[in-house]
Amino acid sequence: MRLVTATGLVKSYGSGRAARRVLDGADLEVHAGELVAIVGPSGCGKSTLLHLLGGLDLPDEGSVELGGRRLERETARGLTELRRDYVGFVFQFFHLIPELTGEENVLLPARLAADRRAATRRGRKLIADLGLSEAARRRPGELSGGEQQRLSIARALVNDPRVLLADEPTGNLDEESGHHVLGLLRSLASGERAVVLVTHDAEAARIADRVLRVQRGRLEE
Amino acid sequence: MTLPGGLTASVRRLRVHPGRTLIAALGIAAAAAMLGAAVTVAYGLHTGFDRSARRADLPDVIARFDDQPQQRVDARLRTLPNLRARSYRREFTGVPLDANGHASQNGVLQAVGGGRRGYAIVAGRDLRRPDEAVGERGVAREWNISVGQRIGIGNARLRVVGVAVSPDNVAFPLAKGPRVYVSQSALSPRIGTRVNIALIWLNDPSLLDQTLTQARAASFGVGGLRFLTRAGVRTTIDQAAGIVIALLVAFSVVALCSAGVMLMASAQAEVERRLQGIGVMRAIGFSPRAVVGQHVLDAGVLALPAGAAGIAAGALVASRPSANLLESINELPPGAALLGPLALALLLVVLLVAGSAALPAWRAARRPVVSVLRRGELAPVSRASRFPAGFLGMGMRLTAARRGRAFATVAVLTISAAVVLAMLGMATLLNGLRNDPGLVGKRYQLTVNAPASEVAAIRRVPGVQAAAPRYVLFAADSFLLGESLKVVAYPGDHTPFEDPPLASGRRLRSNGEAEVGTGIADALGVRPGSELAIELPSGREVRFRVTGLVRAFDNDGRVVYTRPARLLAADPSLTGEIAVKLAPGADQRAVARRLFAGGHPAQRITGGTTRNASFLSVLAALLRAVALVDGLVCLYILVQALALTARERRSTIAVLRASGAGRREVLLVLAGAALVVVLAAAPAAVLLELAVLGPAVSHLAASYVSLPLHARAGQVAIVVGALLVLAVAAAALAGRRLQREPVVAGLRSD
Repeated sequence: MRLVTATGLVKSYGSGRAARRVLDGADLEVHAGELVAIVGPSGCGKSTLLHLLGGLDLPDEGSVELGGRRLERETARGLTELRRDYVGFVFQFFHLIPELTGEENVLLPARLAADRRAATRRGRKLIADLGLSEAARRRPGELSGGEQQRLSIARALVNDPRVLLADEPTGNLDEESGHHVLGLLRSLASGERAVVLVTHDAEAARIADRVLRVQRGRLEE
Repeated sequence: MTLPGGLTASVRRLRVHPGRTLIAALGIAAAAAMLGAAVTVAYGLHTGFDRSARRADLPDVIARFDDQPQQRVDARLRTLPNLRARSYRREFTGVPLDANGHASQNGVLQAVGGGRRGYAIVAGRDLRRPDEAVGERGVAREWNISVGQRIGIGNARLRVVGVAVSPDNVAFPLAKGPRVYVSQSALSPRIGTRVNIALIWLNDPSLLDQTLTQARAASFGVGGLRFLTRAGVRTTIDQAAGIVIALLVAFSVVALCSAGVMLMASAQAEVERRLQGIGVMRAIGFSPRAVVGQHVLDAGVLALPAGAAGIAAGALVASRPSANLLESINELPPGAALLGPLALALLLVVLLVAGSAALPAWRAARRPVVSVLRRGELAPVSRASRFPAGFLGMGMRLTAARRGRAFATVAVLTISAAVVLAMLGMATLLNGLRNDPGLVGKRYQLTVNAPASEVAAIRRVPGVQAAAPRYVLFAADSFLLGESLKVVAYPGDHTPFEDPPLASGRRLRSNGEAEVGTGIADALGVRPGSELAIELPSGREVRFRVTGLVRAFDNDGRVVYTRPARLLAADPSLTGEIAVKLAPGADQRAVARRLFAGGHPAQRITGGTTRNASFLSVLAALLRAVALVDGLVCLYILVQALALTARERRSTIAVLRASGAGRREVLLVLAGAALVVVLAAAPAAVLLELAVLGPAVSHLAASYVSLPLHARAGQVAIVVGALLVLAVAAAALAGRRLQREPVVAGLRSD
């Protein structure tokens, strides 16, 4: 089952002579149960591609179809709904809110869910399954990088998204923590869910079902 | 680095973030504008009388008496050893005046002789010929009279050659009648050289009392002699608008404090924005002193133009209303003399901003470098959070995490909201002074101009609860003749009719006793047990034993309550009126109609300290406008605080949006961030106004009386409600910008 389809994506930054086209006709399809790794040198447009896939930004040209809906045709409200129900994000710098405890951070998206109770139950189960019961009681400043990243993965999964987009999830972790996180992501890419991973990590590339390289603004296998 | 080099570097740094610099500059300009307006109003009003008296060459004493030949009066005056100069006038009241379609039957015509004038020409020139007239500025303004036009004086039409100002009385229309000056030679063929006013300038004004005693001794045969000293003139003007001026000056003091706190908070916020920059500077080897120096320089470079613009704007905005107010009391605006105080205010702004930047910069520069680099000031709230769950509570936590800023924002908002409440309280008080006699301690509602023998008949009128003869006269202290006072006398207990609160001592019980208002008691140094000697207009002296001091509002507290027996013994011609107190629930108009039907036309008592009700209305409206402006300052404070929070928390908001939070949730977070400030500031503002600001302004305005200067419950509800609305409005404003940017822009901000 096809979850994500991107066609002819073009994205530029800057204007005039300083304009730089980081994506230049990138195409991509992601299917359920897949773990897709996107690799490439720094500044090649990997993160930009991930942002476009998740509706965090809009392409200059081309289209992204997510769950049968074309993002460029969606209103701001429609994009918000898609992000809430269909996509989960994991960031390199975790982006946990420092004032909230681990559990409060994980359960934050549950407040947005249509079935809040079910989402809360799921969030608590994720905390337990990921071995984060102790970390969930603390605030982010008191946790290790690995714990923070696992909490951010739990937060991304609370609303049971079909697509999990992870931007350099191991970029800020030591080797052991990175190994754990990648194992977790691998296990999540199953059934009706897909994971798209942007990484520099060679191990990440090894565990992926497909590895795509961004070159000259396009994706190559 | 040299100073010019440092300045250039500062300008360059400020230009890196033009939006942020603009916000900081706007904050400084807003506070400076408040300061500029406050300085303009306070300086203009505080120095208005002395400035105008100097410019007008106001005499040290104005003597009024029944018509006398000028030579006769002059012969007496020449004998005074302290006399430096004198001139004479003949005053006519009730003169019909008309010009430009306006007319008055209450005109005051003063025929001026040679010598010093005692007024300042502010347009055109002085009198030279018999067919010329000089109009007082009040009438020129109200009737749109310009130099060269003609004014009708009785049957004659004279050419207006000049406009004059003399602060010996308030201006028309605050004064009862319009005043016009003509040359004595214009009237002398008809009236000869008879005069009824002498303007007296002294060699040594500190010997005023001795000179007045000598003048009185030399005045044998001159009837109806009354002296009005400069202090007396000031009191006369204060009677018209003194409480209002005092309130405005008091407000200016409050505005100064408010602006100071705002400037400090603004400067502190600017340093907080730059914490990471401070960390980087320290990491690459800058000393704490260099860091502080740079921030002080940056703050100064920003504060100088922003402060100058703000002060200029505030002065411009306030100068017109202030000049109008001064005009209405016959005083002159300060003109270029205001530049000095405004320059001092600008210096204060720059020093305050630079000092406020130095302190947090010093604190930050002294902290461990790594802590500053991590923006380590974030102080997580305790785990047992008292904030509600949900997005609203989350916003509250975001604000509370910055304890220093949250405290400063709450403090500034508290002061601003308290000032709004104080302004509304003042406006209500002014309305009350105009409409409610009870507010100034008067318990009677009507007066009847009738002899004391009619009291019994008036008491029988349905709706009248009590009636009593009331005698009023203006006298002077026997030892300090410059100190004028108002004597109010009732045959029995005065408290059913006038009930000023007793400050000390006891109420009077016999004919030889008196209660003295604290306004005059302070000036004369009398206390319960002292003897008070007063000189009546007839020149007779009467003495009383002071039994108590009262907080009387009337006549700025320069009032004496007593019984009339000794006054009538000294001056049997003294006549009074009858004060009428209505029965509870009685209709004032109906009772007045019944009194009229019984041959006793009654006059309604209002509460005003001024004879001009519209004047009080204008000032009440002015105060409400100031409250509104201050409300906008509250909005600015909230928007600035939220803008800072939103800027710092772009990534947090972006994560929320990436997780599916929409416009509503973002708005709730920002509203929570603003509401926590409002919820802390609102009760604090009410308490501040009730316990500190109201009493302080009341004391500054009129220490001789307890003014009920607190906001009413309805006003408190309106202000608190408005603050809540402002919080939501500020959240909407801040939220709009966040919603417009792509989610990814917020994620990149870390």
